[in-house]
Amino acid sequence: MTSLTYQGIPVWRHARILGWTAQIVSAIIVIAAVAFFIYNLASAVEERDIPRGWSFLSREYSTPISESLLPYEESDTFAYAFLVAATNTLTLSLVGVAFATVLGIVIGSAQLAGNWILSRAAKVYVEFFRNVPLIVQLFFWYIVLLGLPQVREGYVWFDAIYMNNSGLSLPWLKAQDTVLAWGIYAAVAVAAALAVQQVAIRRELRTGRPSYPLVWASVTAVLIGAVAWVSLGAPLVIDLPRPVGRFGHLQGGIGLSIELAALLVGLIIYTSAFIAEIVRAGLQSVSRGQGEASRSLGLNAMETLRYVTFPQALRVIIPPLISQYLNLTKNSSLAIAIGYADLTSVAKTMTQTAPAISIFLIIMAIYLLFSLGYSLIGNLYNRHIQFRGG
Amino acid sequence: MATEHTAPMQPPRTETGWIGWARFNLFGSVPSTIVTVVSAPLALWACWAGLSWVFTTADWTLVTSRPQQYVIGIYPTEHAWRPLVGWLMVSVLFGLAAGMWKGAALRIAIGYGAIALVVGLLPYGALHEGVNMPLDIRLLVLGNLPVLAVAYWLGTTEAVGRPRWLIVGGLVTYVLFLSLLVGLPGVTAVLPGVTAMEPVSPRVWGGLMLNLILSVSGIVLSFPIGVALALGRRSNLPVVKLMCVVFIEVFRGVPLITLLFVSQVLVPLALPENFPVNSVTRAAIVITLFSAAYMAENIRGGLQGLPPGQAEAARALGLPGWRVTVWILLPQAVRNVIPAIVGQFIGLFKDTSLVYIIGMLDILEIGRAVVQGNVEFADNGRELYLFVAVIFWLITYTMSYASRSLERHLGVGQR
Repeated sequence: MTSLTYQGIPVWRHARILGWTAQIVSAIIVIAAVAFFIYNLASAVEERDIPRGWSFLSREYSTPISESLLPYEESDTFAYAFLVAATNTLTLSLVGVAFATVLGIVIGSAQLAGNWILSRAAKVYVEFFRNVPLIVQLFFWYIVLLGLPQVREGYVWFDAIYMNNSGLSLPWLKAQDTVLAWGIYAAVAVAAALAVQQVAIRRELRTGRPSYPLVWASVTAVLIGAVAWVSLGAPLVIDLPRPVGRFGHLQGGIGLSIELAALLVGLIIYTSAFIAEIVRAGLQSVSRGQGEASRSLGLNAMETLRYVTFPQALRVIIPPLISQYLNLTKNSSLAIAIGYADLTSVAKTMTQTAPAISIFLIIMAIYLLFSLGYSLIGNLYNRHIQFRGG
Repeated sequence: MATEHTAPMQPPRTETGWIGWARFNLFGSVPSTIVTVVSAPLALWACWAGLSWVFTTADWTLVTSRPQQYVIGIYPTEHAWRPLVGWLMVSVLFGLAAGMWKGAALRIAIGYGAIALVVGLLPYGALHEGVNMPLDIRLLVLGNLPVLAVAYWLGTTEAVGRPRWLIVGGLVTYVLFLSLLVGLPGVTAVLPGVTAMEPVSPRVWGGLMLNLILSVSGIVLSFPIGVALALGRRSNLPVVKLMCVVFIEVFRGVPLITLLFVSQVLVPLALPENFPVNSVTRAAIVITLFSAAYMAENIRGGLQGLPPGQAEAARALGLPGWRVTVWILLPQAVRNVIPAIVGQFIGLFKDTSLVYIIGMLDILEIGRAVVQGNVEFADNGRELYLFVAVIFWLITYTMSYASRSLERHLGVGQR
């Protein structure tokens, strides 16, 4: 009797063994390559006495940063300088994202408008600004803004907005001493308003009679606000820029340098062209029947857009929109080309007096942090608006 | 009873022709009419102002007085024939593609030939004293036209007009072009006195040529790397997957400029001393890897969009593992994400303008050098940036045009 032992496939063709071999081999190759680079780096650092380590973080940076949101002095440390530069990049990114989104939605919708001139103009805008490198656009806006008249002959609107070749000055809110107490009042107001709204919603559900939850919530908030106003006075006052001295330099308000203004204009226009395409594709992805059904149910054009088309388009729009936000944040590193002190350009200057390896590791970590932050918020929101089973 | 056919009535004159068109597209509703009334004069004024600036106010001397710099940078003039011969080889490819596919490829080739014609015939001498194109250079540029025509004819023939010859031709052209630019030191060694092929340092490569070399290298290399990364990220081998995820996320999370700095400062340290890697190669590697990370995500999106039945059916038919991926999954996945892939290629081409950060003279930076180095051009920055923008726009628009016609050709969204 021949034995019926199962021969099996040979060891070298076994899927699991093949898989593990592939993994081990690739891991060894990658680890060997990384080890090789690190060894070279370490020996180069050793031989050529290249500065290294992290002790520089607590040293004085002692180099000026041309413009910053946080107060900065040359006696501040490297670590704080990183914080200042990262705040600059984050501000750029947030302001840019806000304006680019609004502009992108407007232009994206205009591409689908029934009016021929409007849709053509939007199309030309998108096709041009999307297909030209951002750096070329930034240089262009920079020299255009540099061509503005000097401070004393600059443009002034309503005695509040000043534009000239040293920058843009806008009215800004200035916090008073009472701003902390106002914060407490605001928290109380929000909590009370939410409570009132819940009560009203419950009542509406129970009795079936309209109970206007939003109206009552707003009334509550406004009432608490009025009490706060009477007892504390205004929390913020408007601070207008005004020319000072013989040369008419502007003080007060909030000032944007020409570099920052050019950077923002360039980033916003460039990114808005991409967002416009995303919005257009999203709106077109909603089937025509949805809009027609909504119109035949008696909703008007605006309500159709608000309650039927846009919420469905949003599902298609959000994921690519988030990657555009990330792109804008990363593209803000082009600030170095026109001399605005963002994270990358400050880091580049730092490498002259501090170890380059550590600095690059830090800024890469900060950029990855920004990316993760945007992805996290975006993914949460994305999950919130997706189809739910049921 | 009517015994004759009555001719169908003409549609009302207000519904057809330009009147009908205007009624529907310009005055369709009250808001539309308001928009038209407000924007039409504005649009006309903008067109008029723009054109009159371009043709009367603007001074294009900074472009027309040194066309060579924008094309090949500061590549030595006595060797200028080398990139031009390379250009002839590229024309062969354009001609072959046009003959093979006609349609969009033909239209692109016609535009390409028109550019060669204009560049070759422009009367530079008449525009500026002392600036002229030598006859031999002119002939080399105009030579692109007969080359294009012959290649077109070859492309229409059965024997040569096959995609595989185009791919082979492309690779041969790429290698020959680069060796022509670098030079062959061996030639001078064997035949002393023959200086035609003496080496030229990549440091003097520049102009549009540099942008094109970097982007072609990036496109050719980032695609296979991206495919490999996408497959690695989807594989069920945890170690491979982890390495791919880390690579993709790090390269996607950091700006290209930061990576270019790193390549400039750290890469020379991380390689053994005297390792022969110049700044052009370094930039090309960084741009390629950066683009490959994005490419991987695009292709992963395409793979995710395929119904699982495709792989299951292929396996049920007995195809072994890798063939399922290469023959069944990848072709469909890539076809579905052509717009995203071409968009990534366009992004890569635009990103080549960032190499000035590490001191290379691409078309933008060479122009900036012209503006900053000559007092008479100090106020002509706008002209420069507009010129560079139009060049970039022409090329990127051609790429997206080719992509759209490729999509139509492959019937994306129709099957």
